[in-house]
Amino acid sequence: MVFTDVAVVGAGPAGLSAAIECAEAGANVILIDENTKPGGQLFKQIHKFFGSREHHAGVRGFRIGEELLLRARKLDIDVWLNCEVCGIYGGTELWIVKNRRESRRLKARKIILATGATENAVAFSGWTLPGVMGAGAAQTMINLHRVIPGNRVVMIGSGNVGVIVSYQLLQAGADVIAVVEAAPRLGGYGVHTAKLRRAGVPFFTSHTVLEARGKESVESVVIVRLDEYWKPVAGTEKELEADTVCIAAGLTPLIELAMLAGCEICFIPSLGGHVPVHDRRMRTSIESIYVAGDIAGVEEASTAMEEGRLSGIHASASLGLYSADKEEELSHQIWERLDVLRSGPFGEGRRKAKEKIISMKSMTQ
Amino acid sequence: MENEQNRLICRCEEITLEEIIQAIDNGCTSLNEIKRYTRAGMGLCQSRVCSRLIARIIAEKTGKPLDEIVPVTARPPSRPVRIDIFSPRGCNVKNS
Amino acid sequence: MSRIAEHPILGPLKPSGREVSILVDGEEVIAYEGEMIAAALMASGRRVFRYTEKRREPRGLYCAIGRCTDCVMIVNGIPNVRTCVTPVEPGMIIETQRGIGRWGGGDHGIH
Repeated sequence: MVFTDVAVVGAGPAGLSAAIECAEAGANVILIDENTKPGGQLFKQIHKFFGSREHHAGVRGFRIGEELLLRARKLDIDVWLNCEVCGIYGGTELWIVKNRRESRRLKARKIILATGATENAVAFSGWTLPGVMGAGAAQTMINLHRVIPGNRVVMIGSGNVGVIVSYQLLQAGADVIAVVEAAPRLGGYGVHTAKLRRAGVPFFTSHTVLEARGKESVESVVIVRLDEYWKPVAGTEKELEADTVCIAAGLTPLIELAMLAGCEICFIPSLGGHVPVHDRRMRTSIESIYVAGDIAGVEEASTAMEEGRLSGIHASASLGLYSADKEEELSHQIWERLDVLRSGPFGEGRRKAKEKIISMKSMTQ
Repeated sequence: MENEQNRLICRCEEITLEEIIQAIDNGCTSLNEIKRYTRAGMGLCQSRVCSRLIARIIAEKTGKPLDEIVPVTARPPSRPVRIDIFSPRGCNVKNS
Repeated sequence: MSRIAEHPILGPLKPSGREVSILVDGEEVIAYEGEMIAAALMASGRRVFRYTEKRREPRGLYCAIGRCTDCVMIVNGIPNVRTCVTPVEPGMIIETQRGIGRWGGGDHGIH
């Protein structure tokens, strides 16, 4: 058994930021990740981020990742890679499997869960054929592994993930032959959508993929128009020659460790579904467990980093590393930034949804 | 086109839309019940891919609100691990 | 399905390790040490990683981050290995998995 002050599960933007805050506060922290490298999904984000300057606007995601890793290294944070957290007990103990074959136990006074989110599926006919994959999967292949997963791609979903990954597929040398959106209007930020339009990628609103066809892998894709009740209109089917279908249908928070720990959960559709109930300090219904980033509601990497810092500050304060005044001061600074990130037409809904979760927490206390 | 009812919902256990609907017709109204009745969500991925799809089918068929359709019970190990991890010998074998 | 040698933002390809040889269903494939097995297979033009137990249908890469378990293959005789999160080692023996696979690898006759 290894003992530590704080264990952070997940070394993406939220987890890295949380671990850095804890280390800066003087806590012993162990940062755990199942992958061979830290950074989570940051290293496949090669586009420039939005927001103000303190939110790294104009900086590409992977550069932010490099910056965080550098800070973590300078603070000498203990990073356990290739470590899968397989169980959580009594709110303070983790069962970890390292390199798929070594069991380890870790006891922490505080645990911060920053496990991220997983991609949603769309189950059309033939969606199990090789060549059909998550948009994030295609992004991992092109930007991390530097392999093109297919040459002619149909993208399902015109939200930010759909249009960003479509553009990155073009940059990687693939053809995106259609972006299919079930809603009557496109969902992503104008900047990203415009880039695709300029590149000549056709958009099909009020359309869905009916079927992927092929023997051993995708050879063609049938799309169909949807009526105002989202039902396919017979006779509007179009068969497109394609070898790949990417699904960008949103993300769901990965809450299984929070559920294993017994954290109370609530359902907030605009944040991706079921999320652990948490307060303004990112603390769950279990006193020793905090959450940060997409597990606490799907938002963006910039909000995930701020939430990570918030959880780190409050976890450290609960260990007596900050006075109440200092804790309040640091927390206030981050909340100001979070409020900015959660403003505007895209952010406002998330801000309200977050407030709803926080009000639940105060009711249960 | 592949028969609509024959469309797969659970990739791991190869459970079709028809089988899920049958389970609902036979009284299943939760993800845990569907899982025990059909094995959907009981495979290697442990319902990570299909649970949302099944939740939506339950909601559509029964009118049950999505917020009442809670995720399947989480149990350790939360990642696929080799069985020898549980043996005293397996714990520290470096090259197995 | 090929390597991205030059990228407008990421620049020239920096391999994860030295070139090594692995054996995929008896055929030699050149891969980079440390890259994910699934990436090496996709780069070599392979998309079918396994066939399912009930319907015997082909499956390949789906989530690419170790969650969906659809890309499992028999690696060095061990079935159900998630190839999207398992790094290439020199001389690895990789086999298309049929059904639930078999320890020690080899065909177990469901096809």
